[in-house]
Amino acid sequence: MSTLANAPPRGGLSIYAPFLPLLVVCLGPLIFALAKTSALERDMRIAATENMLWVVTQTQMEVLSLTLETGRNPPEPGQIDRQYDLTLSRLNLLLEGPQARYLAQLGHDDPVRGFLDDFLALDPQVQGHDAALHDALHALGERVHPRINRIANDVMTHEWERSATRLDAYRSTQRLVIMAVSFAFLAALAISALLLRNQNRLHRAEVQRLRAATLLERERGTSAMYRDFAAMVSHQMRTPLSLIDSAMHRLARRGEAITAADVAERQGIVRDAVRRLTRLVETVLMLGRLDNDQLQRTLAPVALDALAADVVKRMRSQFPGREIKLSATATGLAALGDPHLVEHILDNLLSNALKYSAPDKSVELRLFPQGGRVACAVTDQGPGIAAEDRARVFDRYYRGRDQRDGQGTGLGLALARELAEAQNGSVTLDSWPGRGSVFTLWLERAQGGAE
Amino acid sequence: MRTSGLSVAAGVLIALAGPALTDTPILTVTGQVADAPVELTERDLKALPQHRLATSTTVTDGTPVFEGFLMRDLLAQVGAEGEAVVALALNDYRIEIPLTDFQDFDVIGAMTMDGEPLSPRDKGPVWIVYPRDDHSELQDIRYDTRWVWQLVSLHVQ
Repeated sequence: MSTLANAPPRGGLSIYAPFLPLLVVCLGPLIFALAKTSALERDMRIAATENMLWVVTQTQMEVLSLTLETGRNPPEPGQIDRQYDLTLSRLNLLLEGPQARYLAQLGHDDPVRGFLDDFLALDPQVQGHDAALHDALHALGERVHPRINRIANDVMTHEWERSATRLDAYRSTQRLVIMAVSFAFLAALAISALLLRNQNRLHRAEVQRLRAATLLERERGTSAMYRDFAAMVSHQMRTPLSLIDSAMHRLARRGEAITAADVAERQGIVRDAVRRLTRLVETVLMLGRLDNDQLQRTLAPVALDALAADVVKRMRSQFPGREIKLSATATGLAALGDPHLVEHILDNLLSNALKYSAPDKSVELRLFPQGGRVACAVTDQGPGIAAEDRARVFDRYYRGRDQRDGQGTGLGLALARELAEAQNGSVTLDSWPGRGSVFTLWLERAQGGAE
Repeated sequence: MRTSGLSVAAGVLIALAGPALTDTPILTVTGQVADAPVELTERDLKALPQHRLATSTTVTDGTPVFEGFLMRDLLAQVGAEGEAVVALALNDYRIEIPLTDFQDFDVIGAMTMDGEPLSPRDKGPVWIVYPRDDHSELQDIRYDTRWVWQLVSLHVQ
């Protein structure tokens, strides 16, 4: 069975092993995309807190307000103190950690430190309020605020550049993520396709395996049948042949002393043996034809009463001394079938009934219609068939346990049923152990069929 | 770099100059309080239970240690009833803060930073400080804007 050799290995892991790299190919881009987007998310959170421009312009505004207050006539020392403190607090804020580093980037940290020193040198809360101090603060304010405006300008430009750069980065990240996800998607598609293909392969292999197993089973069945056949034939042929042989031997031994009665007796034995052999050959040939679908049959209306009368007559001559009854509940009964095959079946059923019942018991063939069918029921008064045997009596080479050592091919009933089925009919069995059995041939009823 | 929260500008209440005079009012509470307006001096504020809080900020380096009163203690003391306070700074910066912030977090009105009194020339005398290192949800621009420095007044509504 080369199909078995071709079947792929059926290990669980080996089916999925090819997908591991693909899975990595699929998961890798997804993990990459995840890392990229979470980095983006962190970056966006920090970006949202950027506000340097506001701080610088607020500083400029406080310086301007101080300049205004110191130019007021008459001056209000309380307001000047307040604006002075606010100005200092803004300059201090600009010079604290993160803000100072930002300014250093733009080269503005030293000038701002200079502004703070300049303002601290003119502290009204240390030097006291007077016109000269107010004028000096006013002049300082006028000098400083345009320069802070310049810083604000640089910060704004820097911010826009940073924003543009950041947007570029977002866009490139987005492109990368889209590519990664598309790639992962394609990889997933590839995995699915491969999985599907492997599954199909596996399925095909399984089907082939089953087919091979079925073939093997059938082959085993066939060879068993031939074994049975050979056993049966050797037994069934040897018995009549040895009967003939011994009859001939006796005739030969008697020589001249032979009587006509002796000859007639031996003749009977030989003819019986030959008849059994002929039936055996006929049965085997017919089964062979059935098996090879070469059975010739022409279904046509068959006049059953005439046919049954013929069969019964022949049986009576073959089995002198046996009582064989024939009855019909209607006249002119016809069935759809092949007359030759129907005759063979009835022959079979009748000789079966005669064989398995005592010589003093009668056998009966009854014809009757039922529905659209016609029955030919053969009744014997034999021992009957045990319930457990009934299902198998129609199997080839099967013989009831009581008959295993006796005669019988185990083919007769099987052939009868198969021939009946070849004519759209059937053979059924009813049996009462100890009282007898009824084998019934059922055929389709032919209307108005008469010869 | 963190340069945020700078919008949280500030102010000294009464145009105070130099070292705070402890009996000069520095914080006014108005609106739905027991006896509005309530004027509080540095002495009043120092009399409240003091609370220490070490946290990073958006405008300084490191994790300075702040000390001051819990905002909820202040509001309880003045008998505030409402949904929110509008915090006002010296330079007219104003922002509305839901009262739930003060229930959910130990928000303080800081008066010293690293042991030094907060000056009006810096972010004093009162700076609203959130425990942003203890609660990641506070690390957000929507909370950063509530860090009012140079706090002048609170209006309860």
